[in-house]
Amino acid sequence: MMKTSVKKLALAVGASAALMAAGQAAAEIRIGIAGPMTGPVAQYGDMQFSGARMAIERINAAGGVMGEQLVGVEVDDVCDPKQAVTVANRLVNEGVQYVVGHLCSSSTQPASDIYEDEGILMITPASTSPEITQRGYELLFRTIGLDSMQGPVAGNYIVSQNPNRVAVIHDKQQYGEGIATAVRDTLRDAGVEVAMFEGITAGDKDFSSLVTKIKQANVDFVYYGGYHPELGLILRQARQADVSSKFMGPEGVGNKDINTIAGESAEGLLVTLPPSFDEKPENQDLVAAFEAKGEDTSGPFVLTSYAAVQLIADGIEQAGSQDPFEVAKALRAGTFETPIGTVQFDQAGDMESFEFVVYEWHSDGSKTPVN
Amino acid sequence: MQDLLYFSQQLINGLTIGSTYALIAIGYTMVYGIIGMINFAHGEIYMIGAYTALIAITGLATLGVAWLPLILIVALLCAMIVSSSMGWAVERVAYRPVRGRHRLIPLISAIGMSIFLQNYVHLAQGSRNIGFPALIDGSFRFGSSEGFQLSLSYMQITIFITTLICMTVLSLFISRSRIGRACRAVSQDLGMANLLGIDTNRIISATFVIGAALAAVAGLLLGMYYGSVDPLFGFIAGLKAFTAAVLGGIGSIPGAMLGGLILGVAESMTSGYLSGEYKDVVAFSLLILILLFKPTGLLGKPEVEKI
Repeated sequence: MMKTSVKKLALAVGASAALMAAGQAAAEIRIGIAGPMTGPVAQYGDMQFSGARMAIERINAAGGVMGEQLVGVEVDDVCDPKQAVTVANRLVNEGVQYVVGHLCSSSTQPASDIYEDEGILMITPASTSPEITQRGYELLFRTIGLDSMQGPVAGNYIVSQNPNRVAVIHDKQQYGEGIATAVRDTLRDAGVEVAMFEGITAGDKDFSSLVTKIKQANVDFVYYGGYHPELGLILRQARQADVSSKFMGPEGVGNKDINTIAGESAEGLLVTLPPSFDEKPENQDLVAAFEAKGEDTSGPFVLTSYAAVQLIADGIEQAGSQDPFEVAKALRAGTFETPIGTVQFDQAGDMESFEFVVYEWHSDGSKTPVN
Repeated sequence: MQDLLYFSQQLINGLTIGSTYALIAIGYTMVYGIIGMINFAHGEIYMIGAYTALIAITGLATLGVAWLPLILIVALLCAMIVSSSMGWAVERVAYRPVRGRHRLIPLISAIGMSIFLQNYVHLAQGSRNIGFPALIDGSFRFGSSEGFQLSLSYMQITIFITTLICMTVLSLFISRSRIGRACRAVSQDLGMANLLGIDTNRIISATFVIGAALAAVAGLLLGMYYGSVDPLFGFIAGLKAFTAAVLGGIGSIPGAMLGGLILGVAESMTSGYLSGEYKDVVAFSLLILILLFKPTGLLGKPEVEKI
């Protein structure tokens, strides 16, 4: 009795597993979504996951891709390069063929090696380090601009304010140092004196010495390349020490968490961000759909992630095939209409054009475009 | 003139951070002095102190309490009580059962405890940086030269004074009180102290409680001074405080104070005159040099040998 029931159970399990596998093969396209769900920059991960989920939902509601439904496989890389490699391997094992992610440049770089080797197509909606697409990878794209585009926007803005002396600080990470270097070079080319170019350690809390140094250097402008946890503290400690310089940072500092750290000191901070795609008239339907779910579309990576998923879907349709290499070819060849505008990729996998805009940040977490 | 002001400002910055390193370092040094083990979970106790203080402050604010001294005292008491019970519990759970075994075993147990506490706070409070309200705002300003003003903030003064009070009370406690005397006896010879009727288990527990209470004080002070807390910040602070304790001579309480101050000043001078990037390089090079030329640390006694 016991024996037969065990046998039956095993049979049933086996049969259902076989059925599930068959079901997957027949009617599902699995898309890995890799970004930080935890850790100090999880806010950005939230934007990415919310944008990608919405895209999957809406594409499925409209009939899916080639009659198949999209399924998201979400993994957490904590914005840590080591963890990124681990989750990339997990996605490989899961048999995923397309990935939207990763978020931090320092995670995207090692993970993309794995995806390229395994023939997985990857679109990062957030990594801006230029190096990522300079390695001639065939299956790597991004729906965001590059530090080499963003840096000059920030640099030129600073130049237009006619500062006497500028300090450029960064967090020694791939993203922060990369963009800080681009800003410094723009400033130097324009003949502005860069009085300080210095790194801090991400995760540090005490910036009193740095702030004293900024104060002594008597700079009008401070540019910070990095993320909000450190800039928030620098801002707060600088204001307490009566530093009156103007501060500016890249999109990595532009989220509401900087207000909980810096409080009033965040008022007047300048941030370069992708333009507010959620304010475009043609996106209002989509924004309403996000709002119906109680989600915020103002973050810089929500619609870039949405666009990344949509591009994968469009690419598959255009190629008429689910082979990532065919899809990559279709993506390079075509022009696509997405919520972030008309997307056309160059050979490297970067968008032909991507705009960054300077915003002024306020202590209540809102932002207004400058000029 | 400006150079002098700049130097003084960096010195103040260094002494401020150094005195809080010293507060945390006491916990390492007392535990080492008595049972000869490094309590690697001490940094986490400090972090928990900071979180508890923040929760207490937020709680009082929602209750509508606006009188600053009351907020500070309640936050300090809550932080000290929670941290002390944590310190006590950590010793009971993770160290006492393995005491007297090979010296690696308590060490590994301590590292495990540190990882556990870090992740516990991670789960309970989230991994994001949480802002700490600036309760003590404003500063004294002295002498001005070419637009550079020396500023000594009320917060920095609070840190100096609190550290000074804590250190004085601790020194008096160790040298005058019954438990203090017992602490010294246990640190000289645990077995003999036991034979003479001292409840050594109780004394060891007391050491952990005292160290944790001081770490909680540092947690509240540094939380307010820096402006944010996250689950990982105990690790870095713990590492620095441990360095301070070794620098001053592990096992010696005045050594921990001296080590903390030297480390803090060395760090701030490095970032002030060289570059912030070399801050940790200089701090740890200093440690290596001291260990090479004076392995017992600045004020450590060479005859103290613990197994």
